Amino acid sequence: MTDAMGIILTRNQDVRMNELTQVRDISALPFAGRYRLIDFVLSNMVNSGIINVGIATHVNYSSLMDHVGSGKPWDLNRKNYGLFMLPPQVRGASLGAAGDVDLLHNVLTYLHRSKQKYVVLTGANIVCNMSYNDAIKFHEEKGADITVIYNEMDLNDPQLKKCTTFDVNTAGKVVGIHHNLSEPVSGNAGMDVYIIERTKLQALIEDAYAKGSHSFINDILRTSMDSLDICAYKYEGFVGRIDSVVSYYDNNMKMLDCAVRNEIFAGKNPVYTKVKDQVPTKYLEGAKVKNSLIADGCIIDGEVENSIIFRGVHIAKGASVKNCIVMQNSVIQERCDLENVVVDKECTLRTGKRLVGQPTYPVILPKRTLI
Amino acid sequence: MKATKCVAMILAGGQGSRLGILTSKVAKPAVTFGGKYRIIDFALSNCVHSGISTIGVLTQYKPLELNTYIGNGSTWDLDRNDGGVFVLPPYQKEETGEWYKGTANAIYQNIEFVDQYNPEHVVILSGDHIYKMDYNKMMQYHEEKGAAATIAVIPVPWEEASRFGIMETDGEGTITRFAEKPKEPKSNLASMGVYVFKWSALKEYLIRDEKTPGSENDFGKNIIPAMLDDGQKLTAYGFEGYWKDVGTVQSLWEANMDLLSDPPILDMYDADWRIFSRNPVKPPHYVADGASVTNTCITEGCNIYGDVKNCILSEGVTVGKGSVVEDSILFPGVTIGENTVVKKAIIGSDTTLGNNVVIGDKSVDSKEFESKYCSADISLIGGNITLGDNVKIGVNAMVTKTVEA
Repeated sequence: MTDAMGIILTRNQDVRMNELTQVRDISALPFAGRYRLIDFVLSNMVNSGIINVGIATHVNYSSLMDHVGSGKPWDLNRKNYGLFMLPPQVRGASLGAAGDVDLLHNVLTYLHRSKQKYVVLTGANIVCNMSYNDAIKFHEEKGADITVIYNEMDLNDPQLKKCTTFDVNTAGKVVGIHHNLSEPVSGNAGMDVYIIERTKLQALIEDAYAKGSHSFINDILRTSMDSLDICAYKYEGFVGRIDSVVSYYDNNMKMLDCAVRNEIFAGKNPVYTKVKDQVPTKYLEGAKVKNSLIADGCIIDGEVENSIIFRGVHIAKGASVKNCIVMQNSVIQERCDLENVVVDKECTLRTGKRLVGQPTYPVILPKRTLI
Repeated sequence: MKATKCVAMILAGGQGSRLGILTSKVAKPAVTFGGKYRIIDFALSNCVHSGISTIGVLTQYKPLELNTYIGNGSTWDLDRNDGGVFVLPPYQKEETGEWYKGTANAIYQNIEFVDQYNPEHVVILSGDHIYKMDYNKMMQYHEEKGAAATIAVIPVPWEEASRFGIMETDGEGTITRFAEKPKEPKSNLASMGVYVFKWSALKEYLIRDEKTPGSENDFGKNIIPAMLDDGQKLTAYGFEGYWKDVGTVQSLWEANMDLLSDPPILDMYDADWRIFSRNPVKPPHYVADGASVTNTCITEGCNIYGDVKNCILSEGVTVGKGSVVEDSILFPGVTIGENTVVKKAIIGSDTTLGNNVVIGDKSVDSKEFESKYCSADISLIGGNITLGDNVKIGVNAMVTKTVEA
């Protein structure tokens, strides 16, 4: 068994998701037809043999709690360890700041109480199917204090500007850390995953908090580059970063690519999610479907092309849905025409409505919209 | 001890031999149905929605897969502190130990199990019917009538009545006569194999039946007639709705196809009466550019590149480019190659069909595969086998072994 525990930090800072994250924490954002973003990191944890996972939240976490429940879909409903929801501790009237250090300070007791040697510290807005075990092994071999996991991005990728990038020397040591550079000099983009000894993390948090610091990257990683041995582990697989409406839209669409889909879902490590006991999807006579991912419980009688359709969606006869993401239980009535639209949960589009967005600027219909 | 009002006992021990190769490795209640269910999901889900949470499942024939499927019962919310679902195979007693000799004997051998819960009533169910039914309403009726036993009945077409156990009733719904598969039926009310008994009464008759020499230890043949002879009050509870016995290849095929009717004859979308099943850990299904899917049910994890019409596809099925699949039921993990044609077939789990295969072509002579289990042009392909490229199979065929290209 892996001698590591997991801490997932989740908050809506630094993301530009408009209406999509007004009703929910980004970790609870629906993805790829039947998942929430948290499913990927939780599945990665349990597939790596981690059985002690804490989720530190800040605000709007009711969707998240509803989704993870007791942790059963991930086999994390356990007597020994399992899943721990760690909502913010409220001091006085204030919720407190939402920096990583503040969130981590809230979970110190949980860290003290745990017994695993290492902590895998991670965010919840990255889609990938990785085992942390190779990185932990790398961490041990290097004798590192902190190991950061990164993947290589194209220097022209606009998303790179929002990433933390690392200068890594040939020995695998981090020699420079940059954040939000307008002209990135390195494509080594941090995946917001860190491996660190539990007791060391506790000490670093206590120190940083005492100094009034908030940021894990700026106040802990960057200031201790000289005193700590920080190594970087390169991840080679598919990485989908969700930090804006466009990246959310693009990464959903990437799941239509057979190679990407197989890497994420068809390997030996499954992606677990909450079970809904929906019936299989039913195609009626009018169904014309092309290049689309469709979850269970839908009734399809219209045209669907290049789209991601979540559980329980109805698409009526004569309706046309192109390049869209339609979330759970939404209803698209007859002769509606949708292109480049993200339809959030439980929306209804009455007969004959037409909505057209752009791939670079999809229209978002907030949860429970009725048109 | 705390008394449980009602215990359900599900008879799931039969082989269901008329399903041919489909039940060569699993008991009938564990056979795949409707894309993501097993037949027993209906009885178990009905119990849970009816508020019955103490359930014994009587197994005997090839129980491994059924046992694994039921597990701790959490799929149906039956992992309870008090009660829950229990798999009850026959077991060794002090002096004897024997197989379940009949439906009544199976319950007789588990009298101690039922007694643990000290219930007022016992519901006896078959694990091999497709229907949605509120057993609680039936139990209320049973109590109102003050009956010793209540039998659920459904009107069947007169010409088919001689295939069923037929009840004759008086104006009040009291059963006056019971005839098992009568040649000249006097009523068209067929027993659905759903019984509610006052436990104290049933126990007495089970013990008595066991001591009767020559008894077949069967509910329909022995217990019910004995109670009627004694003048016990037996009532018929009329059920309206969809009910289907899936004992044959043809009826299994028909019941699956019934799910495709629009509007559906059996509403599976009712959120208040969901049929629970083990859900696959698979992504949504994918329909490619160039594929065509109409009048079909598809489950998660499928990849469709060909044409699919009037089919039920279970999880993880792949249909290759240029292939045409019609009027068929594909069990989990079936892989179909390219330019293959499948018509009116049931294909077992994890079977692979190569390229240019033909199944269900009337012009193909398939004498070697002919089977008494297959009728109505339905072909049956067993699980975990391979049909190589260019293999051709006719109608009413049952293929049990790999056929090389």
